[in-house]
Amino acid sequence: MQLALDMSRDGATWMMAAIVVLAFLGMFGLVFLLQMLSTQGRRAIVVAVTFIAGLIFALEFFLPAQPVDGQDKNFLSDPTLQIQNFLQVVAGMALGLGTYGLLRLHLRNVVQKRAQWGYSASLLISLVVMGFLSIWHSLGEKNVEGQPLVATNETAEYIFSVLFNNMIVQMDAAMFSLIAFYIFSAAYRAFRIRSIEATILMATAMIVMIGIVPLGKAISEGIGLPAELPPEYAKEPFSLTAILYSLKLPTMADWILKTLNAPATRAIEFGVAVGGLATAIRLWLSMDRGLGV
Amino acid sequence: MQQQNIWTKLIRVDRRILYLILFLNIAVFLMFPFKMPATITSPARGLYDAVDSLQPNDLVMISSNWSASTMAENQPQLEAIIKHLIRKGARFTLVSNEAQSRDLSKRIAVGVTQSSDNAEYHTYGQKWAHLGFVTDLIAAIRGMGSNLSEAVKQDVEGTPIDQLPVLQGAKSLKDYKMVIDVTPSGTLPYWISYRPPNLIVGYAPTSVMAAEGFTYLDSKQLVGMITGLKGAHEYEQLMGETGLGHKFINAISFSHVLILLFIGLGNLAMIMARRAQGEA
Repeated sequence: MQLALDMSRDGATWMMAAIVVLAFLGMFGLVFLLQMLSTQGRRAIVVAVTFIAGLIFALEFFLPAQPVDGQDKNFLSDPTLQIQNFLQVVAGMALGLGTYGLLRLHLRNVVQKRAQWGYSASLLISLVVMGFLSIWHSLGEKNVEGQPLVATNETAEYIFSVLFNNMIVQMDAAMFSLIAFYIFSAAYRAFRIRSIEATILMATAMIVMIGIVPLGKAISEGIGLPAELPPEYAKEPFSLTAILYSLKLPTMADWILKTLNAPATRAIEFGVAVGGLATAIRLWLSMDRGLGV
Repeated sequence: MQQQNIWTKLIRVDRRILYLILFLNIAVFLMFPFKMPATITSPARGLYDAVDSLQPNDLVMISSNWSASTMAENQPQLEAIIKHLIRKGARFTLVSNEAQSRDLSKRIAVGVTQSSDNAEYHTYGQKWAHLGFVTDLIAAIRGMGSNLSEAVKQDVEGTPIDQLPVLQGAKSLKDYKMVIDVTPSGTLPYWISYRPPNLIVGYAPTSVMAAEGFTYLDSKQLVGMITGLKGAHEYEQLMGETGLGHKFINAISFSHVLILLFIGLGNLAMIMARRAQGEA
């Protein structure tokens, strides 16, 4: 029984390795094939593949669907699902290409001892060590028939944990946190109230920045403004309590965000969406000049 | 002349002094937290009510797409949401479109579930699971919307999706009740556009991304939203919990005040320096 389990695990591992190797060989074969063709030939292939892929997705979205096995489908739904799975694999391969590009650039820096090659060496060492430990950790998490796909090592796990949890995560968080300090310094030095627009911006910023945090509520209620919207608000929206409630910093901040900010954001998003649609059509029909083939 | 010097010096103050003031402000309020109740905004109330209306064993997808850079905002949000799901007895799965988030969100989920009183959540895979990292979120949403086990295949521990107890009876995203997108990036439109129509959407963005959410709140395509750390604090307040939101919010509150005070001070210094120059 144990032998059968081991063989099954070994089989699964080899199968996975074979799939990965074959996928890489296939990808590089395809790239090689494209390199062999003339520029016009390459362009024709890329244009045709782009158009057909776009057409399949557009048709799948627009064609009416019928309920099949509890799911709404048309004849393109299942093929599209397979293409989407394939896309996930292709996106994964993009990581490989990116890594290859990084390695090539920085290896060249180190070998030719270009300026600041030490940084390149440090990047390469970090990349290799973290990549190795990370893959080991991920494979160690995977179980086949209740057994880890790859035996984990306590020391390696500890080093991975130190590198990931105690270094990468902390440094990443620290880098982003520094922005707060730059904003503080920049706001102090550069935010000058020199015009009506700047004054309006400053007043709005004051209301929103204080109004959205608990301090805004504390200040408003501290000066005697009502804590809750009066129940008679629907009948008497201009009662004194209702007006005083509207003057609370959190109420004003909420109004600015929902009534002034949201429509402006919506308008920007609408513009971006129309622009995105135009770009998508240009890409689909290969009308963009820099096709890179 | 003396007055002019003071104001000019104030304008040209060394930036390291400004950094130190902000650092001390944050450090003091982090070291000595105190409770300051927030006004509960309607988007936060909306998300809380939506989660609170879940029935035991309802299935929720948490889309966790953040990295360590936005940890200060997204971690308190994720923790609060998971605590609420556990309180409701709901099943949940996580999926990440961000490589770091795969490990970060799993670590947080393990921490919250292990410290919960509900023993059902202590065993991974029973009431919750992590479906791992997906490279293309649109493809993943569309794939999961059609067939979960085809699109994801295995969880982070290599268990086939259809063998996970937490996903028994779930064939696709249509069998989920809700998705909550915890994210600092523009992933919300993907969920809105490509989700099955029955799936309600909640949103937990970082503060700078919240503006995008109001559009979808108005159109009722979002049931609710918790905005950054402030939203996490509101959510904790609604739950009656004291989590990271409570610990961090005062540092944020008083940093906002500090920034405004210094903007005012900078402007005052500019006016006074000009006036002094004019008099001279």
